[in-house]
Amino acid sequence: MIEAKEDTKLNTYKKSQELFQRAVKVIPTGIPGHLGPVQSQFIPTSDFPFYAEKAEGSYFWDLDGNKFIDYMCAYGPNVLGYNNPVVDEAAFAQFKKGNCMALPGKVQVEFAELLVDTIDGADWAMFMKNGGDATSFAVMAARAATGRKKLVRIKGGYHGVAPWTQVDGHAGVVKEDVSNNLFMEWNDAEAFERLIREFPGQIAGLIATPYDHRIFTDNALPKPGYWQKIRQLCTDNGIVLIIDDVRCGFRLDMGGSAKYFGFEPDLACYCKALANGYNISSVVGKESLRDAASKVFYTGSYWSSAVPMAAGIACINELKRIDGPRLMIEKGEKLTEGLKKAAEANGIDLVISGVPSMFYMRIANDNSLMMHQEFCAECAKRGVFFVSHHNHFINCSLSDEDIAKTLEVAEEAFRIVKKNNPDKCN
Amino acid sequence: MSRETVMSYINVFAVLKNMEELVRVDSVSEQLIKSRNIAIQFTVHKGPKAVLAFRNGEVMLTRGGGKADIKLYFFSPEHFNRMMDGKANPVPYKGLTKISFLTGTFMKLAERLEYYLRPDEEKLKDRDYFRANTEMTAYAAFFALSEIGNHDEKALHSSHAIPDGTILVKVVNGPAVTVIKEKGSLRTVKGEPDSPRCILSFSSLESAHLVLNGKLDTYTALATGRMAMRGFIPMIENMNPILDQVAEYLQ
Ligand SMILES: Cc1ncc(COP(=O)(O)O)c(C=O)c1O
Repeated sequence: MIEAKEDTKLNTYKKSQELFQRAVKVIPTGIPGHLGPVQSQFIPTSDFPFYAEKAEGSYFWDLDGNKFIDYMCAYGPNVLGYNNPVVDEAAFAQFKKGNCMALPGKVQVEFAELLVDTIDGADWAMFMKNGGDATSFAVMAARAATGRKKLVRIKGGYHGVAPWTQVDGHAGVVKEDVSNNLFMEWNDAEAFERLIREFPGQIAGLIATPYDHRIFTDNALPKPGYWQKIRQLCTDNGIVLIIDDVRCGFRLDMGGSAKYFGFEPDLACYCKALANGYNISSVVGKESLRDAASKVFYTGSYWSSAVPMAAGIACINELKRIDGPRLMIEKGEKLTEGLKKAAEANGIDLVISGVPSMFYMRIANDNSLMMHQEFCAECAKRGVFFVSHHNHFINCSLSDEDIAKTLEVAEEAFRIVKKNNPDKCN
Repeated sequence: MSRETVMSYINVFAVLKNMEELVRVDSVSEQLIKSRNIAIQFTVHKGPKAVLAFRNGEVMLTRGGGKADIKLYFFSPEHFNRMMDGKANPVPYKGLTKISFLTGTFMKLAERLEYYLRPDEEKLKDRDYFRANTEMTAYAAFFALSEIGNHDEKALHSSHAIPDGTILVKVVNGPAVTVIKEKGSLRTVKGEPDSPRCILSFSSLESAHLVLNGKLDTYTALATGRMAMRGFIPMIENMNPILDQVAEYLQ
């Protein structure tokens, strides 16, 4: 087994572990939700940090002072770089004026105008807090518009955690929560046609991400003509086409990911890259859905807060100014090409999929993914943060030096994986 | 399938199954069956069927019917479950002359099994008891898992979603079971496969004891290194809701 190079100091996480011991006493699971060490698939958990102390640009530092080049980007919200000065300045300026007030601020209208201007086919915008608020609102609007119950979903698609998005049999979910969901495989327009025949006049909407970016699976782009076919079927059958652009939004195209793939949805949900980490999400829609959107009563204590809206305006303008999506795709291409080369040099078959600004990767030498998990753990111990089975995220502040440093670490990690699995490497 | 029916499968293939282990770890039970050569078939109407054989100081449970000295019939899964609770008697239709084995040795073995599967803090202080209890609880849980996954309506969803392959569940330097998903159903066997697709491990018998007895939740156990998982995690993720049901059935 290759030992770490003499000069490589491997990360340790004493303070994270200690804080976690306090956490489990007062918080169920210690760290609930998707950032939990189990849910994040930290394998083994001892090789990963649990808590962040601070962040800047493409990096975060954990409690123990370890610095990481971050390819999870808070699972998407970090799009311009942590603590981006342009966004923060706009947010702080609004903060001084007022945030959560008895009335919305002017920025609500300005932000809606900006999104209508920016996103192809958007005639109006509404705001909420999380991606799941947006997807749930969109589904309600589709039902309000059509008076129908059924919702078509793609198998394995993630749309948040509301009961309708979950799986029967999982804790807290009952059959009735999911009884109106119909499922089809990704990229199978014929399956959609079959569902339409099977449930005539009953389908309110189809909700799907712009491409298939699920976990544990090579991500799959739409087949040529797929979205155009789905669009036509929706139009012909009075079905509302909802695009869940929560994860992809503004990492593919400033005009929305539907524009990138050449079609127009009826409703689109945004969240992660909307405000560089300030908490806000949005549903934008076509004129034909305005009335339905008006009728659905859906709101929350913080939904009209002004600071995230000011941040959102600055973030979208900045992304436009620097052509963020193109930049991130290019950086993603550079990084993934380097990773593939480093893997190949060690007899490792690294499969890269998805759009480069949010690529998914998998070592394909074993079908258990254990080699891939070893690779991610070796990277984490050396300050490069990839979690094993989720797509990764590029942010605009990632520099060539960051990419070079990442490739250096990856090269070493691949060497170790090869050494530990000689019979599985080419 | 009704809850009673699922329970009858668990009672045969997870609880009675543990007699195999019982005679290995418990000298009282070992003595009880030392010179016995006898096989009992259990037939539950609209439920499971199995043969429990006592030979050369060992016990073996096999699925389905077979050669047996005593054959017992149960009118329904409820009937069988009540027998397991000591509240009903079976209907023997073969081997009436050997029935004393049933009322004598078998009942005593059942008591020993109960002794090991129902721990209290006092008994657990004894290291051998602790080990036996933990191992037998683990076997019962993971054998029950396959029965629930194959028969309980709510669990079918999760068991179908488990990708094909083997899940190794083991205690580091301790016992191991393998849950196999193949051709749409689940099967549990003792021991380790050559190259499991996914591994769920406990750092020690203590860790296994804490988790299996609900004294420590799995998230905390995983985050603190008392448990670890690696490999094709969707297998474990879809096994987890069934494991939650194991606790409901076995309590
Ligand atoms: C495609 C997609 N939809 C919806 C959501 C839910 O968003 P949130 O976690 O902000 O509620 C996510 C979050 O990861 C997502 O990726």
